[in-house]
Amino acid sequence: MTTPNATQGSPGQTHERVYLHAMPVRIWHWANALGFLVLILTGFQIRYVDLFSLMSFETAVHLHNWVGFAVIANWFLWFFYYISSDKVTNYHPDFDAPNFFKRYFDQAQYYSQGIFKGDKKPHDVHPHDKFNPMQKLTYQFVMFITAPITFLTGLMMWDVARFSGLINAVGGIRVVNTVHVIMFILFVFFMFLHAYMGVLGPKPSSHYKEMFTGWEEPHE
Amino acid sequence: MKTGIKFGTLLLAATLLFLGPAISMADHHEEVSNPDVKCLKCHSKNLKKKLEDGETMSLRIQVDEFGTSVHQVIGCTGCHRDVAKGKHPSKQPIASRRAYSLKHNQTCSQCHEAAHDSYKGSVHASMVEHGDAEAPVCSDCHSAHAIQTRTSYEPVNGEPCSTCHSDINDAFAQSVHGLARTEGNQLRGEHVNAPSCAGCHNAHDISAVTDTEYLVPKCMSCHEVAELAHEQWLPNAGMHLKSVGCAACHSPQAELRVDLQLFDRLKQAPVRQNENNGTVQETLAAIDTNGDGLDPVELWKLVRQINEQDETIDVTLLGRLEVTNSVDAHRLAASTEAVRSCESCHRGNAEPFQNVTVSMSRKDGRKESFKADSRVLNSAMSVDSVGGFYAPGGTRIKVLDGLLILALLGGLAVPVVHITLGKILRKKTGTDNK
Repeated sequence: MTTPNATQGSPGQTHERVYLHAMPVRIWHWANALGFLVLILTGFQIRYVDLFSLMSFETAVHLHNWVGFAVIANWFLWFFYYISSDKVTNYHPDFDAPNFFKRYFDQAQYYSQGIFKGDKKPHDVHPHDKFNPMQKLTYQFVMFITAPITFLTGLMMWDVARFSGLINAVGGIRVVNTVHVIMFILFVFFMFLHAYMGVLGPKPSSHYKEMFTGWEEPHE
Repeated sequence: MKTGIKFGTLLLAATLLFLGPAISMADHHEEVSNPDVKCLKCHSKNLKKKLEDGETMSLRIQVDEFGTSVHQVIGCTGCHRDVAKGKHPSKQPIASRRAYSLKHNQTCSQCHEAAHDSYKGSVHASMVEHGDAEAPVCSDCHSAHAIQTRTSYEPVNGEPCSTCHSDINDAFAQSVHGLARTEGNQLRGEHVNAPSCAGCHNAHDISAVTDTEYLVPKCMSCHEVAELAHEQWLPNAGMHLKSVGCAACHSPQAELRVDLQLFDRLKQAPVRQNENNGTVQETLAAIDTNGDGLDPVELWKLVRQINEQDETIDVTLLGRLEVTNSVDAHRLAASTEAVRSCESCHRGNAEPFQNVTVSMSRKDGRKESFKADSRVLNSAMSVDSVGGFYAPGGTRIKVLDGLLILALLGGLAVPVVHITLGKILRKKTGTDNK
């Protein structure tokens, strides 16, 4: 299996390859991707049973519940993997705000202009710092805010009677559902964005390959 | 001789005239005690009394009915204690037939204290208290003089409830419960008795059927495994059993509505009408200024106003899906015919959600309902006010549908815009890949 010093790269290559995504992270990522897709699909079916019928409402609810629990369990695997790993630095907040946001806008400028002109990427990936500022902020938001809120509200709606005290405390089932649906909408947007950003590598398939092999794809 | 025959004939005639009724009664109803024979000497005749309200009240007692009633053992004075030797209330005025019944309603409590106490907390007694002239007193159900044993109320004919609730009784007779009583219990075995009226509603402490915390436990008290059976297939079974009335699914032809009941989150109890919040109609009508039913903004104002008026409560609206009328509530079908399709409620614009009422419980548990616009279930304004009711799909908030469309369009637009931008820039800078 891959060892940390594999980040030193392989001899004979024009660009030093970096081992970015360890096996547990890759498994987590694709399991999560599949889970998110099923949750979004069943979520659509539950909410719009009058508009399309891929499956019955009852099946959609049961599938949504089971996959929801799997995704929650997966989140905990991701969480415990990172907090027990030195790669948790990938998610560390950057407290030097002016510097962080300068780099953030550099990255935005790269995506909006530089990438088309062949400019050098403003952020060099490293196993302990693999996210550029835009990715970092997005993933922090998704993994520490959006996902937990979605899980918590989903859990409450899974068994309303069991969590009635908590539901009551936050303002009622309609509040819980509204928050859950807003998170769902954000995830739908995120999935589109995430899938598209994935093609913005050296080649359109590069980042996708990386998420299967773990190795950063060579730059051209 | 001729005179003697004449005298003897007259004496016999007089004897028969005076003793005739008593002998006749004794012949047919030996159970009637001697002191009662004295009363019936007059009250078996077509006696009438002019009442103060101008009506006439018959004072005639059906001797055969009284003779077979359970009260014949206590006799007339058992209840009519104001009658004694040399003391008869015939001269006392009676305001009305109703007033006389109400007066004797208290008489029953002298012996039947427990039953009367139960009755005092009932919806029937509450109606009497509110001056409802049709509200039943003891004698309306048990009759005044033909009082029968408790077992005589068991048959499916619904007596005495059907006297007032005949349409409900007709529906009940054709229901799974009614048929089980007349044709035998096919579903649960002959040894299990299907309920009659009192089986669900009790005999004397009859609660308002709209009191939501009352009826579901009643159903569950016989259908012990119902909760478990629902949990086997129904997602969120506990919530459904709490916020969907049994009849809403088990009376499959019934018209449904959503009743939004004012509910205090702090006390975890329905808000009951009291001196402070006035009558429901007044409170709600004051909000619904245009009189066309509460719309989402008016409903939001209502909840806010109630919460601002009283700091000790935290009101929200708790929704409950229930049958629109009480007749349908009794038309219960076998469980195999119950509504099982989730889509019947969880699709957009589902019929049950087109009929919405807002209600507040009166002191006796009965609800007073006020029409609301069905948009209150789909409005973003209702997120807080209708915090206690949400059916995924069926009552989805329209604004969120708009946001979702934006997210989908935005998600598609980002690549399109980005790729287009790239082409323009490459063309401009001449770096387009050939």
